[in-house]
Amino acid sequence: MSLVIASATFLLAAASSIAPLGKYTAAEHREWSFQPRLHPAVPSFSDPADKAFAKTAVDAFVLARMKKEGLAPAPEADRATLIRRVTFDLTGLPPTPKEVDAFVKDRSAKAWEKVVDRLLASEHYGEHWGQHWLDVVRYSDTDGYEYDTHRPDAWRYRDYVIRAFNNDKPYDLFIQQQVAGDEIAPKQCAQAAHGPLCASEEDEMLIAAGFNRLGPVRKNAGNQQVASSRNEQLTEMTNIVGAAILGVTLGCSRCHDHKFDPFRQSDYYRMQGFFAAAQPYDLIQASAEEQKAWQEKAAPIQKEMMAVRKEIAAHKDGSGVTELQKKLDDLEDEMPPALPSIFTVRDDFSNRTEIHVLARGDYQNKGDRVAMRVPGIFLPPDTPELPENTPKPRVELAKWLTSPDNPLTARVMVNRIWQYHFGRGIVGTPNDFGRMGEAPTNPELLDYLANEFVASGWSVKHMQKLILMSNTYRQSSHAAKAALDKDPDGRYVERFPRQRLEAEEIRDAMLAVAGDLNWKAGGAPVMVPIDKSLVDALYKPSQWQPSKDTAEYDRRSVYLIAKRNLELPFMQVFDAPDMQVSCPRREVSTHAPQALEMLNGDLANQQAAIFAARLRKEAGRSHRRQIELAYKLAAGRAPKPAEMQAALKFLAAKTPDEESRAREQFALAMFNLNAFLYVN
Amino acid sequence: MAEHVRITRNRREFLTHAFGGFGALAFADLLMRNEARAATLSGNPLAPRPPEMPDKAKAKAVVFLFMAGGPSHLDTFDPKPLLTKLNGQKRPAEFGEAKYQFVTGNAKLLASKRTFKKYGKSGIEVSDLLPHTASMIDDIAVIRSVHGDMVVHSAAQYQLFTGRIIPGFPSMGAWTLYGLGSESESLPGYVVMPDPHGALEAGQPMYSNGFLPAIYQPTMFRPGAKPVLNLDLPQGTTRDQRIKTLDLIKQLDRADMNPGDAELEARLNAYDLAFRMQTEAPEIFNLSTESQQTLEMYGIGKPQTDDFGRRLLLTRRLIEKGVRFVCPVSGGGPGNMQWDAHDDIEENHIRMASQTDQPIAALLKDLKQRGLLDSTLVVWGGEFGRSPESQGSKGRDHHNLGFTMWMAGGGVKGGQVIGATDAIGLKAIESPYHIRDVHTTILNQLGLNQDVLSYLHQGRKERLTEIRGEVIKQIV
Repeated sequence: MSLVIASATFLLAAASSIAPLGKYTAAEHREWSFQPRLHPAVPSFSDPADKAFAKTAVDAFVLARMKKEGLAPAPEADRATLIRRVTFDLTGLPPTPKEVDAFVKDRSAKAWEKVVDRLLASEHYGEHWGQHWLDVVRYSDTDGYEYDTHRPDAWRYRDYVIRAFNNDKPYDLFIQQQVAGDEIAPKQCAQAAHGPLCASEEDEMLIAAGFNRLGPVRKNAGNQQVASSRNEQLTEMTNIVGAAILGVTLGCSRCHDHKFDPFRQSDYYRMQGFFAAAQPYDLIQASAEEQKAWQEKAAPIQKEMMAVRKEIAAHKDGSGVTELQKKLDDLEDEMPPALPSIFTVRDDFSNRTEIHVLARGDYQNKGDRVAMRVPGIFLPPDTPELPENTPKPRVELAKWLTSPDNPLTARVMVNRIWQYHFGRGIVGTPNDFGRMGEAPTNPELLDYLANEFVASGWSVKHMQKLILMSNTYRQSSHAAKAALDKDPDGRYVERFPRQRLEAEEIRDAMLAVAGDLNWKAGGAPVMVPIDKSLVDALYKPSQWQPSKDTAEYDRRSVYLIAKRNLELPFMQVFDAPDMQVSCPRREVSTHAPQALEMLNGDLANQQAAIFAARLRKEAGRSHRRQIELAYKLAAGRAPKPAEMQAALKFLAAKTPDEESRAREQFALAMFNLNAFLYVN
Repeated sequence: MAEHVRITRNRREFLTHAFGGFGALAFADLLMRNEARAATLSGNPLAPRPPEMPDKAKAKAVVFLFMAGGPSHLDTFDPKPLLTKLNGQKRPAEFGEAKYQFVTGNAKLLASKRTFKKYGKSGIEVSDLLPHTASMIDDIAVIRSVHGDMVVHSAAQYQLFTGRIIPGFPSMGAWTLYGLGSESESLPGYVVMPDPHGALEAGQPMYSNGFLPAIYQPTMFRPGAKPVLNLDLPQGTTRDQRIKTLDLIKQLDRADMNPGDAELEARLNAYDLAFRMQTEAPEIFNLSTESQQTLEMYGIGKPQTDDFGRRLLLTRRLIEKGVRFVCPVSGGGPGNMQWDAHDDIEENHIRMASQTDQPIAALLKDLKQRGLLDSTLVVWGGEFGRSPESQGSKGRDHHNLGFTMWMAGGGVKGGQVIGATDAIGLKAIESPYHIRDVHTTILNQLGLNQDVLSYLHQGRKERLTEIRGEVIKQIV
């Protein structure tokens, strides 16, 4: 299965203390997700209606499955619905009235394809699909835990992800760069230490390798328990590879053999072995002069901090350390702002952590020593470990992860793609393809897609076009009652599932509809003004510094700071993830605080006022035209007669003052409508 | 564990049943969990859920009095004559090793300066820091043998609230709401009242719903004029106007939906609830309806007890209205504004105790005289205790190997001491109970089974306590 690993013939010298290689039962080997992918034949149909639906291979697999359940596809959705659906789906934004009109009127056979191609090429596509990946890898701009220290340069990784999606970076390359970018481009690390900026291609790979540092980091005052912190770091690095790339709960085997899947505890620590030399690294991006100037400012403060640290260490009985710690914190605040740097990792073999199997995952409870190897279930029996001194350990890991034969990587990613389009994966548990995960609802389709993914050169956009051009995707979301009863969940995709917008989409759509969205892309994360009580609730309130340029407050949500200890309430009520652990699929809950946020919250009210002014400006005095424009912008369609009547009645007012207030309330109401918050 | 497989549940089913409100309910999981039980409920999704173990269920609500920073067991509930004798000496080797946060070597044992006295019929010893609490000792079960895994604040706080030493997991409050729903439609089901002095080390993620849906998130009652975010109408919006706007939203939504669309009906319902909350919730903050006697009992009006007294009186009012889980926090901001007495145990603990002791006793009395104590489990404790060794000459460091928590009400047998630390209060040696056992006991009193109360993912259970805990049998 893995040539890379299988060809290695080294064994560790200290044989007595080496953990034995795991043995696996035949039943464990038979688990579907660990089996090589199959090449199922595309189903064919004789019935004319079936033939008409099964235009693409995707449709044929989907149709065959739903027929097994006695279900039939829903009719095609209307064009206004389709363009709103696909625009949110690919860019996280609503279509403009002009775009809707153009598509509705376009009678050419290629009308739909033109829309799909345009959106796949949009620079806003990466801002939306990048966010999906950022959820999975628990991206954040801060450390979390007590100090929640900001990572002023982590955003480069966020922008890397957005660029990668926009440029359709092959997924195998995307993974290799994240897992091992610094090892692929090591030359730059050495060079940059002497000053010159890295070349951008090389930069790209170093930035990507920041992936290995995305987990929360615990720092605390007093005894630092270095070994414990290192253990936590390695745990984060290892587990995320299991969750995000392999879609398995590898982390469960940290404390004991996995209870359900064929991962032995020794397998876990052998995976950790690939990261044993990797250390966090900030590669400064500044000229020699800039660095010198910074040093001059920082040196006296650093010297003082060093002295305080020494003093703390000298107080073996811990006396006076509270004071001293505070002094240290204050000194830290005085430091000049950090120089721009690349937030990455590098190997330090002289400082390589010896990896042991840890009883119950306790770093003090060291068992047998291990080197590095991918989990044994994927290897021929008794495949030896790679030696500890393997020169580029993570490159070896990345090669295996992205090998075309890897049974999981491609399946896991196409399943994610499918899930983000249809709200539900073919495997309903996108981070768990193990025995406790859900079985695929359509294994043939999953393998067909995974094969196609690998064959296309791991092109995400190729897969998306394949899906978007299907009849399956263009089905109406209005399900027949029989279908709802039989498949309340939409597992068999005999309709398009209606979906509530995600937190970021709601915010971005309000800004877009009001005409207030700042389209600027990339760069340092933005802090927006928030309720003082929220800032005061931070351990270090000085961390929250809203951007000076108020235009920044209207940036897309993906560019707002992702702070682990302060999730914006707006994002929180609409089920945005907390960035502490990988989030493969967001919850969708409906509750009163959402209504309070959308009715009383500052954001909704500010944007409603701007939206109301836009309606007045662009539609003139006529209420009828204002309502029409409001629906076109917010719902992507014209108002129905009953809607028009109700809105007209609401807007009827006596004084100009009353009228403008009524219009603002109407605009606020628009943001609260299902027609705005849901995609059909 | 850095990863956690988020539950992927049937969304339609979930929304159908999740009728919002602060105390919204998710029936889908219940149905999966216990169809027989849920079947009796399917009529009204807003109704609170009966517990899984009705025979065990004694408490309907929990008050967790969180003494942040770690109060000293040695100066409150766990007298140690030997420690007094050995004052100023090095710890005798037979007591074994302990790891502290700051104190590393050469530290000397520090006697408590407090005097202990026997109280109540039970004759349990309590220090003179807490005379009011002591007066209620016959209702209190003192657990002197609690221990946890972490000796630094953030990780220990995560463990205390979520059972895990890392952030990202649901807290006790979220689980309680998840397990039992809420009895109050117009009030949040899970409330945290932080100390106005500032934040704690573990921050917001400590109280959070973790991977559970946002329905189970805590509502923070923040200090200041607007305790709940977004509860007030925006400036310039009148109540009449708001009613009209809500009416418009309904009309427009109805014009665009199929009758009987449960998912969208749930949304409309959430708007009704939001409006009701906006009207009714502010009343809960109005303490002027309380008698002078009550105000005095809680120490409201006296400078040192006014703040905590108000928050505990508010706690009682919330419990009366059916709120499930209330967490008033004592301590916040810099360490010395918490129970984090590194520098001077006397100064710190006398101050912290004088702020909290009277209000806590008042809460117990008040709940009792209103007949609510039997159904309300009150839990007291911090994320750890404090070291027998001195930090500096008069402070105490963090200490997680043996410390005290107490429980009262909610079916707990008061007037008894459970477990013991060794003769210097270093390690829990008799009937030691891990924090997860405290969690398990809380769940047990609510009638919730730790093995069943899990966020289900095809049989894969995310247990609150992560590792299975034991019920503290002596007290139930």
